[in-house]
Amino acid sequence: MRSVDTRRLWRRIKRDYGPYLPLSPYIFVVLFPFYWMLITAFKRDRDLYNLTTAPFWFKEAPTLDHVQLLLQGTLFLTWMKNSLVVGALVVVITLLLALPAAYALARFKFRGAQTLSTAMFLSYLIPSTLLFLPLSQLVRGLGFIDSIWALVLVYPSFTLPFCTWLLMGFVRTVPREIEESAQIDGCNRLQAFCLIIIPVIVPGIITAGIFAFTLTYQEYIYALTFVSASANKTISYGVTTDLIRGDVFYWGSLMSGALIGAVPVAVIYAFSLDHFIHGLTAGALK
Amino acid sequence: MSNGRELIGASALPAARAARGGWFQREGVQGALWVAPAFLYLAFFIAYPFFMSIYLSMSNARVGSPEYHFVGVQNYTRLFADPVFWQTVRNSFVFTFGSEIIRLLIGLPLAFALNRSFKGKRFVQGLILIPFVIPIALSSLAWKWMFDSLYSVINWMLMQAHVIEYPWQWLGEPGLAMWSVIILNVWRGFPFSAVILLAGLTAVPQEVIEAAKIDGAGPFQRFHYVVVPIVRPILLVGLLYSIVFSFTDFSAVWLLTQGGPYNTTHVFGTYAYNIGINAGDIGMGAAITLFIFPFLALIVVLMLRFLRRE
Repeated sequence: MRSVDTRRLWRRIKRDYGPYLPLSPYIFVVLFPFYWMLITAFKRDRDLYNLTTAPFWFKEAPTLDHVQLLLQGTLFLTWMKNSLVVGALVVVITLLLALPAAYALARFKFRGAQTLSTAMFLSYLIPSTLLFLPLSQLVRGLGFIDSIWALVLVYPSFTLPFCTWLLMGFVRTVPREIEESAQIDGCNRLQAFCLIIIPVIVPGIITAGIFAFTLTYQEYIYALTFVSASANKTISYGVTTDLIRGDVFYWGSLMSGALIGAVPVAVIYAFSLDHFIHGLTAGALK
Repeated sequence: MSNGRELIGASALPAARAARGGWFQREGVQGALWVAPAFLYLAFFIAYPFFMSIYLSMSNARVGSPEYHFVGVQNYTRLFADPVFWQTVRNSFVFTFGSEIIRLLIGLPLAFALNRSFKGKRFVQGLILIPFVIPIALSSLAWKWMFDSLYSVINWMLMQAHVIEYPWQWLGEPGLAMWSVIILNVWRGFPFSAVILLAGLTAVPQEVIEAAKIDGAGPFQRFHYVVVPIVRPILLVGLLYSIVFSFTDFSAVWLLTQGGPYNTTHVFGTYAYNIGINAGDIGMGAAITLFIFPFLALIVVLMLRFLRRE
């Protein structure tokens, strides 16, 4: 009797929780650093540096001191504004350049179209690690060094290839016949593009925009190389440099800055998960 | 590339097109016009700096001094005599392939676990991709804190579980520091590996497997002759992407260890930044970054070959 019972119980556990059991260690590993950030951001210093008992919960009342230092002792809000402004401008520039290129590469037949598509693909693989030194000379020459305009100018170099590639895939899904009938009705290329193609590939444009923004928001080495004044820093650059003074790490403020700084991408990501996963696999696999 | 429908499509319109405009409306001219802004931009911000870095690597350019001149292969001979450079080369490969192998080992079971339908699957998938989305500079701060020399929570857990007897210096001990940067890189990248693997797994239509089954193929034959050929190109391209991103990484290593202790975690990106910006020797820094290129070229050739075959 007992063995039947346990077997039935086991089967029920397997049915109800089977898919989740193998996933739980992954979820723990993924989320623990964020939990640790959260709790560090609100612990009093004395509590933070007290490891005599389990450190996973507050032993003293939580505090807002670290957040206050972040907001009042650093230019955190300026960095946030810089990141958002740079991100928005880069998205606009990227789409303005990528949309016509993607349309022409996916649709027009002209000598070199294939070569240009390959060149687009290859330029996506040229990493910023390879280009940051000459680009720093270049933006210095153009007079943009140590300003957010240096970033606005340079960031499309990594968003443009990816987004063009992504948009080409979307353009290809639009049936040619729709466009051709529009052209027979007297539309020229530009009109067909604006009136027929653009409305159909709106999901693609959104995906490309999300990626352009996320990639821009994550960028580090160019910001570190081109910008030095604190007021011109982006969020990841500012948080990782201005809260470490000499050997002193302001851990509570660092963690609160990292958490709040991650909010914009987290929100965009939460609202566009499907676009995001689609873009990730499409971008890598097409 | 061209198929029958496209040819018909292209020839259905010549009358209308000829009537509307001369050479300006020709596809070649139009194509060039439409792609010009994007490619001019890329020429100026990718191609030009790339060639510029070749010239810089053969110059004595320094941060802050506007004038520099050609010095031949001097930077390269200095680099070849620099033991730290060779260590950097070794580190880059250990970091890249160490991370990649662990990512696959961790990502594969995850992909299998996600390759079935259950309640809340979309939510779980969303959670698991978080490390890939949050800026690495920000999440690396959490890891730096968890690896702290005095207050490491990882040490606390391991000591409570009696896995270790004394606190480990995760970022301070040469061998261990490399493991630490690999752990961060794996944590950031395994969601991507899992998504690619999952895309590979779902790319095999169930009907094809059924058909093979009806034709009498056993499980091994189905895997070998049906699943592998369909999945292989997807996985290889995803794998190569992932390798490129690890190999050219800067921020994960820079934010955890800055290449230390004793240069044992320097990769191309961090060493080039150290020499080129911190020490101000742009010429030498450019020479270091250019060593990324042969490896990159190899990966690109492999990738294009797989894409063509597909």
